[in-house]
Amino acid sequence: MHRFALAFLAVATAFPSLRAADQLAAAPVKAEGFTYVRTLGAISEYTLDANGLSVLLMPAHAAPELTFMVTYRVGSRNEVTGTTGATHLLEHLMFKGTAKHNRTTGKGFDQVLAPLGAINNATTWLDRTNYYVNAASDQLPVVVELLADTMRNLLLLETDRQPEMTVVRNEFERGENDPVQALDVEINAAAFIAHPYHHSTIGWRSDIEKVSIAKLREFYDTFYWPDNATVSVIGDFQTAAALALIAKFYGPIPRAPKPIPQVYTEEPAQTFPRRVGVKRAGELGVVGLAYKICPASSPDFPALSVLGDILADGKNARLYRALTDRSLTTSVSANTGFNRDNSLLTFYASLAPGAKHDEVERRLLEEITRLRKDGVTATEVQTAVAKSLAATAFRRDGSFAIASSLNECIAATNWTLYYTLDEALKKVTPADVLRVAEKYLDYDQSTTGWFVPLAASPAAK
Amino acid sequence: MKRLSIYCAAAAFFAHVLSAAIAPNVTRTTVAGIDLLAYPTGVKDVVTLRASFPAGKALSPATNPALAALTAAMLDKGTTTRDKFAIAQALESVGANIRFSAGSQLLTVSAKCLKKDVPLVIALIAEQLRAPAFAPAEFAKVQKQFAGNLQRALDDTDFRASDSFTRAVYPVGHPNRQTEPKELLSSAQATTVEEVRAFHAKYFGPAQFTFVAVGDLDVPQLQTEITRAFTGWTGGQKLPTAARSTSTDSPREQTVFMPEKTSVTVLIGQTTGLLYRDADSLPLAVGTAVLGGGFTGRLMATVRDQAGLTYSTEAFVSKNTLVDGDFEIYASFAPELLEKGLAAVRRELNAWSKDGVTATELEQRKGNLIGEFKLSLATTEGLADTLLATVQRGRPLASLDDFADRVNALTPAIVNGAIKQYLAPEKMVLIKAGTVPGAK
Repeated sequence: MHRFALAFLAVATAFPSLRAADQLAAAPVKAEGFTYVRTLGAISEYTLDANGLSVLLMPAHAAPELTFMVTYRVGSRNEVTGTTGATHLLEHLMFKGTAKHNRTTGKGFDQVLAPLGAINNATTWLDRTNYYVNAASDQLPVVVELLADTMRNLLLLETDRQPEMTVVRNEFERGENDPVQALDVEINAAAFIAHPYHHSTIGWRSDIEKVSIAKLREFYDTFYWPDNATVSVIGDFQTAAALALIAKFYGPIPRAPKPIPQVYTEEPAQTFPRRVGVKRAGELGVVGLAYKICPASSPDFPALSVLGDILADGKNARLYRALTDRSLTTSVSANTGFNRDNSLLTFYASLAPGAKHDEVERRLLEEITRLRKDGVTATEVQTAVAKSLAATAFRRDGSFAIASSLNECIAATNWTLYYTLDEALKKVTPADVLRVAEKYLDYDQSTTGWFVPLAASPAAK
Repeated sequence: MKRLSIYCAAAAFFAHVLSAAIAPNVTRTTVAGIDLLAYPTGVKDVVTLRASFPAGKALSPATNPALAALTAAMLDKGTTTRDKFAIAQALESVGANIRFSAGSQLLTVSAKCLKKDVPLVIALIAEQLRAPAFAPAEFAKVQKQFAGNLQRALDDTDFRASDSFTRAVYPVGHPNRQTEPKELLSSAQATTVEEVRAFHAKYFGPAQFTFVAVGDLDVPQLQTEITRAFTGWTGGQKLPTAARSTSTDSPREQTVFMPEKTSVTVLIGQTTGLLYRDADSLPLAVGTAVLGGGFTGRLMATVRDQAGLTYSTEAFVSKNTLVDGDFEIYASFAPELLEKGLAAVRRELNAWSKDGVTATELEQRKGNLIGEFKLSLATTEGLADTLLATVQRGRPLASLDDFADRVNALTPAIVNGAIKQYLAPEKMVLIKAGTVPGAK
């Protein structure tokens, strides 16, 4: 989960969007039972009147395939101590099935989809959970029926939880194998002391092991409702037919019986730098440095994304020149958290053999200080923007790539970010970058983490 | 995360199958001595480029196994006319990217750009391949990077298991056998820039160079740009024919002990003696997919879904593009569940080997593999990789268009015959990498 989650984050930070001119939105249709909301770029939004389900449709007929995705607005930010990892564990149990679709009946998710050559998967992250199927166009009816059935009809049996818990625990253990992932967990836990971004999406080991099926059922009954979900269809389909299918299978599901609980915990102001570490057997050290930043929907976010690129993306990035090109690191990276709430801009510097943590950290901080003092050049901004815009075009390459990006925008509260972020990005100036650097790259609001390897393994000696 | 983070290599095998006609839509020409394949698609603006030629790791001299990888790593470190920063700026200013990587036998170029930047990117690929600077100062940095990256990989249980597996099953001299990390490290440190220059002079050229372009293409313009960029380039080598594997005398069970790891990586497998283009490869791969392909494979259905022993287990055939390859089962287990997990995997392996696949399983798997393949071709990268691999495998492009027919023609008898002929569980190697209980 964690490995996937990081990958999704990286995708999201690069501004997922399409260029409106390149994809023509289907004209809005009048479909019984739906209210047309708006069209932006190639995406049209509808609401299913019966229960408030949001529907996003993006027709594209380049290939006879499509992606059908359901995004639930529930992630690990909705968990509390004792239930950390519950969102993710519930995601796993989704595939154990319903009374109608399970392995015993011979109509389990995989049993139905695999022979069709369809690919299905699910991911959980801080702000959302999504389920998707990539399939040939003519299989849309099967896919919609399957995913709609899981919204309210899961079996959620204790006999399924037990083996799935150990599956998830091994997923956790695989993540812990990687020192950088272990360090990332520590940095987030230190950076957030009140807000639920404190804990990782996969949760704490003891919670994974001990959360009860009753708690998971409670979680399911709280968050898995149509008015807390968005259905997206991207690819080769006809709008009216797709809406009819969605109405048929999702329409009978009622709205949530109670208001969906909202997270109201705010992270208190950080006034002093924090420091954590992971020390254990390993090969080479790592330095991480995280700063508190704004939500993805903030007007400051595009400039922060440019800032991260200028510092750490590519050979001309300042940290590459200061660290990697001087053989102090093997790589540097920046991860600009694309999240619903205040998040982190995290830099990672992977130490080269012989390099010292303190020297790498000092140079990293020097570069940040220099940027805050002198700002950035117009060429640096233009290059960062060009890279993001090209990446936008690259993510139009197939329906799944589009779905992955759209999913993060839905999770960050507004799917229109899918387009509006690109437009905002084009307007970023060096002054904007300097302003956000001064505002957010405040050392007092930073968390530094070191991975310190204790000894090289025998093969490396 | 419900699904696997390591995508099934068996699926990769089938990511070369089509049901719609592909071959008639490929424009294949020889341009400046290069085998050029162009496939325009409906995508807007995006172009994916792939190229390969024989300059991979196995072509390094036995005395200097790091040479090919170091040479590849030097390609983006500057040319005779501009330094690495200038090249990076030229690419980044338009959001394009070019990567060079040394595989077992081939050096692969991967690039992606917008349609308008195809001339720039092709020119830069050619410049970096034809006229690398090989500056001593840059080489010293590359040596350190190489050492650091390798040392970091040693912290990864998956890497350690797969690395050891190659030496356990492939004999010395086989291209799929990887060099011991320690030896690789010392080789990298001892290599000189003169040796890199000599390797480049010997292996870089159009002798067996394949270039694939897929996406929003203007094919005549592409041909013109390739001509402009590569005319006058000579040299290179054809890939030498490698002898098929013989057995090794390595222990059948090996442990790579790594302290303080919370999950152990396990590999069980053997060489098959088969290349992708061999007739028996297809039935063996289909049978293997029944055992360990995705969530409907027997391994995931039992070892994960029923017993809850692992997050991931799969079976696949691999490394058979240019030489004979292998069969592998991958799994990860918590140290305390290792033996129980291994027993569960072996139970499935033995039953599959002894009794084969059923007619129902085979029919379902056919639909799965053919359908997944169609989906894999929905992106320019999927198509480009497929076309390049087809050429590398020595298969005609037309073979892509009858793949579904060939899969559908398989019977349980054919598939089970291949399993019995090429695999023997009792002779397979077991590798365990991680904090294995009782080991040091």
